[in-house]
Amino acid sequence: MIITDNLTKKYGGHLALDRLNLQVKEGEIYCLLGANGAGKTTTINLLLGFLEPSSGSAFINQVNVKENAQATKKFLAYIPENLMLYPSLTALENLDYFSGIAGKKLGQDELRNYLSEAGLQEEAFGRRISTYSKGMRQKVGIAIALAKHAKVLLLDEPTSGLDPQASHEFGRLLRQLSNLGVATLMATHDLFRAKEVATKIGIMKNGQLKREFYANEISLAELEETYLGLMQPKAAAL
Amino acid sequence: MFSYNLKYELKLLWRSRWIQLLGVLLLVLIGFAVYNGQVKTDQWENSIQTAQQTLKASDAAMVKVLDSVEQGLEVSLAPWLVPTSPMAVGNVHPRVVAKDAQPLSYIATGQSDLFTPYVSPKATGDDFAIEFTEMTSPVQLLFGNFDLAFVIIYLLPLLIIAFSYHVLSAEKERGSLRILMAQPISIRQWVFQKLTLRFLVLSVLVIVAFVAVALGFGLDVWANAPSFFILIALVLTYMLFWFALVFLVNLWVGQSARNAISLLGLWIFFVLLVPSILNQIGSVLYPMPSRTQMIGQMRSLKAEATEKQDEILDNFLRDHPEYAVNDSTQKRNFYHRYVASQQLIRSELEPVVNRYTEQLQKQQDLLGNFKWLSPAIVVQQALNRLAGNSTADFLNYKFQVMGFSETWRNHLMPLLYNNQDFSQEDVPKLPVFQYQPLSSSATSALLVLLGLVVLLFGLGFGFTKRIWAS
Repeated sequence: MIITDNLTKKYGGHLALDRLNLQVKEGEIYCLLGANGAGKTTTINLLLGFLEPSSGSAFINQVNVKENAQATKKFLAYIPENLMLYPSLTALENLDYFSGIAGKKLGQDELRNYLSEAGLQEEAFGRRISTYSKGMRQKVGIAIALAKHAKVLLLDEPTSGLDPQASHEFGRLLRQLSNLGVATLMATHDLFRAKEVATKIGIMKNGQLKREFYANEISLAELEETYLGLMQPKAAAL
Repeated sequence: MFSYNLKYELKLLWRSRWIQLLGVLLLVLIGFAVYNGQVKTDQWENSIQTAQQTLKASDAAMVKVLDSVEQGLEVSLAPWLVPTSPMAVGNVHPRVVAKDAQPLSYIATGQSDLFTPYVSPKATGDDFAIEFTEMTSPVQLLFGNFDLAFVIIYLLPLLIIAFSYHVLSAEKERGSLRILMAQPISIRQWVFQKLTLRFLVLSVLVIVAFVAVALGFGLDVWANAPSFFILIALVLTYMLFWFALVFLVNLWVGQSARNAISLLGLWIFFVLLVPSILNQIGSVLYPMPSRTQMIGQMRSLKAEATEKQDEILDNFLRDHPEYAVNDSTQKRNFYHRYVASQQLIRSELEPVVNRYTEQLQKQQDLLGNFKWLSPAIVVQQALNRLAGNSTADFLNYKFQVMGFSETWRNHLMPLLYNNQDFSQEDVPKLPVFQYQPLSSSATSALLVLLGLVVLLFGLGFGFTKRIWAS
């Protein structure tokens, strides 16, 4: 479960995140929409413990991130926009390495199973990552999350640059993880994919969460209209 | 985490061909350096051997002449060269006073390129002002010697820097750092482990290269195992110092280019600047006295002594009646006066000559007190000591030379002042020089290096606070 309580981040005088309150329960997929600079990536960095909040708190599985960032990382997996692994290692070796340093010692069969579950073709298991497409690398990222038995998944623009088929496949994998009880927070620009996979959708602007609704309560057209309406600059007072 | 880091770090290094490249490079560098050192040591030993053979031939010739003289035959030699005269023996057949090469001489040239392998002090020579200097090639002075010490002190840190300057920054620049940081691990620990593994890899490569080169050149490693182990311990501790610096820079700086520049700056500081500054400070605070002044003083004393030779001789014999106790002839010639004057000049110049040793000692003490500022100085001094080519070794040799000169003179003086002939029977009684090397220890060097390593790692673990992915 992910909880943020008045989570705020300031860079000097600039307010990057302003009193964010959100909650992602087990099995939920929460999509954060917003333009560049809206505060989506800052939220993820704060949840990962890469940044310290100026005020407020973030919790992963009831553990305060600021107080015990390392403990929270046992429960979470993270896939950035461009998942970069070790290019001269194969998918099996990358998965073995990242699972190993996270404390999960896995046999070859288990490693293969996780890669298969993540939708990777068997013939690719032994190939070096340097030969992989972005979509294939994202699947290895999912396999790392599966192998780690992550309770929380943080995704930062994971589908940007993926072709529609790969993006659809990725959405399917997210729903699969959601069915296993994983709480997922995904920052994205992709309204269509958000509507398709999300349980809940939040729209951010200037560091604030402006709107929040359940995905099944809104159509794609309404979502788009709401999003564009929020993104339009206010008319300057004459 | 360590076993996974070990397994995959080795794979990554092997696949990126770093291990192969480093292995070949170390083999070539160490091989070339040991070859150079061995050539110099061979030249040193050959030079001594040739001098010993020449002395042997000269002694045989001396015995032949003495035999002829003792049989009453005429010899076709100038009177001052006939070995029945003790001073002819003392000046024409001086002993070889050699500084024998030590088992590990090939590792560090040290002071050996400034001194001769042996000297042959004559009975009437100015050995008290002995300097042992000879001309050195200006090109060699510019670049130094390509010996093992040069490879270890100058080149090995550069290899370590090239090998590890971007352990953390490369992850950041490739984009894999964020995934690593999302794992329940300490990045500081992770960097420490990565560098520890690289240190182990490099250590194995260095040891293998040393052993391979030693076997390749037929050097007897096992006969000198303790010294060899000290050498390895010194090299590994020095490497550890550089890895500790790389650790700090990786944590503090952040970008590969900046890391590389910072580490090269530190290399210049520790390897070039600090030794050069300390050397300059030593020369300014404790300057060596003018050699020209000393020579001038010696000449005027000699001129003064020439004028008062009879008086000096009388005083000398009054002070040393033991030299002439069996003399019934009371014959006095040039050598009687000359040797007595030399004794006087020697004692008068003693404070001036001692000043060189004192100033040199003060310079060495200064370096010793501040050597911890530069591990390069610590290792250079330790390697020179291990090779038997340090300043201390040559000072020890110098004192032994002076001691032997005294023995040589004292052995011949009773014959001279008693106006006795040197005979065949006296030949086997001539003193023989045996060099006594100093015992070497690298304990203090190892302790200083380990202290610096602990300090740097302590700084790395204690005082760095930075969120690298931000």
